[in-house]
Amino acid sequence: MKHSRTNMHAPEAVVVACDLITPYGLGIDACWNGLLSGKTAINPLDRFDTDVFQTKKAATIAELKTGQSDSLVMQMLKPLLEKASAIIPKDALLILATTTGEIDILEKQVLNAKDNADESAPGYLLEKVQCLSGIKAPGIIVSAACTSSSSAIAQAGAMIRSKEHDCVLIVACDIVSEFVFAGFSSLMALDKDTARPFDKNRSGLSLGEAAGFVLVMSKERAIQEERSIIGEIAGWGLTNDANHMTGPSRDGSGLALAMRKAMRSADISEDAVGCIAAHGTGTMYNDAMEMKAFKSVFASGALPTYSIKGGIGHTMGAAGLVETIVALRSLREKLVPPTVNLLVADDEAEGWVSTEPDSFDNPVTISINAGFGGVNSALVLKKGNRQ
Amino acid sequence: MIVISGIGWISKKKYGCVKKAVCRGYTDIKSLHSKLQNESIFLYPVKNFGRFDMTSKMACCAGALALHDAGVKYSEKRKQDIGIIGTNTDGCLRSNLNYFKDYVQTGRKLARGNLFIYTLPSSSLAEAAIHFGFQCPLLYIMFPQKQVSSLLQYVEGIISRKEASTVLAMKVDEKKAVCFVLSGEDDSSSK
Repeated sequence: MKHSRTNMHAPEAVVVACDLITPYGLGIDACWNGLLSGKTAINPLDRFDTDVFQTKKAATIAELKTGQSDSLVMQMLKPLLEKASAIIPKDALLILATTTGEIDILEKQVLNAKDNADESAPGYLLEKVQCLSGIKAPGIIVSAACTSSSSAIAQAGAMIRSKEHDCVLIVACDIVSEFVFAGFSSLMALDKDTARPFDKNRSGLSLGEAAGFVLVMSKERAIQEERSIIGEIAGWGLTNDANHMTGPSRDGSGLALAMRKAMRSADISEDAVGCIAAHGTGTMYNDAMEMKAFKSVFASGALPTYSIKGGIGHTMGAAGLVETIVALRSLREKLVPPTVNLLVADDEAEGWVSTEPDSFDNPVTISINAGFGGVNSALVLKKGNRQ
Repeated sequence: MIVISGIGWISKKKYGCVKKAVCRGYTDIKSLHSKLQNESIFLYPVKNFGRFDMTSKMACCAGALALHDAGVKYSEKRKQDIGIIGTNTDGCLRSNLNYFKDYVQTGRKLARGNLFIYTLPSSSLAEAAIHFGFQCPLLYIMFPQKQVSSLLQYVEGIISRKEASTVLAMKVDEKKAVCFVLSGEDDSSSK
């Protein structure tokens, strides 16, 4: 690729700040410690009536309350961005990543027999996020199903490497709503208990909600501003299966292609990768497809692999960003978090995933996502210099 | 240098291609679909077209018109390294309303999976990518203003950065669509 790391004049894209809120609580420590504890945050749901659905469980954030003046999304974003606004440069490009945004506004309008749900349209949310972040220009929204935020991070990396921008703020958010819960249930995609990624007896995903941000800068600017570098977005690959709307390509070739593109973009070989942050939803077909892709790319043997979706559920458009932040923490600690809810690894995943935390040597993680429509993303993440 | 090698468009009652100077009328989306099939603008039938939401139908039709205009061939058996980037003003608001109203009307007991599939802003692009066999980045990008020029500028960046050599860029909603085929100059010269 023209702008791969072999081009010595191409700036490195580094993460200088990040934060998140997940069903484990506010902040990275809460999420990291929750995962290491091995306890799931997927619990019975009381936000709406779940009697008719496939499951009564999801991973929600206890502090979020329906019926407030702020949407659930804004209740997640306000504490994060108000705290961070002082460290966010006003000239940053804002990229908002989401699948359904403030869908609870639409729910309320329809349930109250009103016919104006325009305020649930993504443009309104973009304006609110711009105000919260203090960024001058309005920014853009990136949406690509469950790869939304990882695709947004990839785009940020590409823009920095090509010198189109030297600072990009990526904000991601999605909520557990009746809207999506009923939809996933109708597709028979939900586990009746809790998601068990890569388990022999897995039977579906659990929905979760989260929000977070990642501030990415050129390394040059980060050094000039004396920012500590949390990690590097070293490479990326985005592909599409072009196969089916709701099912991944069974052979995993689309995802494998994304991973190969990401490694080529990072100018590394398979040997350099120390760990895989899997998508690992817990559905039969997704996890099988991923293992095929992993084995195709890393043919020489198993790599430490984990999914966080047994802990916080599938956070949809926010999943890639949350997983990037967790992967950066994992690189810092040189620790692979356990795959929460795993009981007995599927035959194909045996030797790759674990119920226990594990160490790893090479400070490079490949973080992957896949979603509706056959979209695939892969990010190569490297450890930063923060002590 | 980036070149636009084809443009397809659909308005309320008309559709056309710019380079081939086509401008014809149609009555509804079903008739448009039939016309595009009869005129061999669709090179093969669109699977499940009747089940698509309106934006996906428009995206497929506009994509076929733009590819026809650019002379880009596609086939059911061969996938291509082409990207698809789309924009509009309100995501998939109408499809969201259709799905959720339908669910509420059934007494909040039964959601229809087929309507739920289209409650992502990227769904219409995905239907087009599946039909045409496009394997490069698929992204819905919403720009707050100047959507068409912002879209073209964004896609220029994607091609310049070699994320895709050719991109189908479209502004599409339930009522109208415009779709461009963009390539790096080297890639378009052979088409």
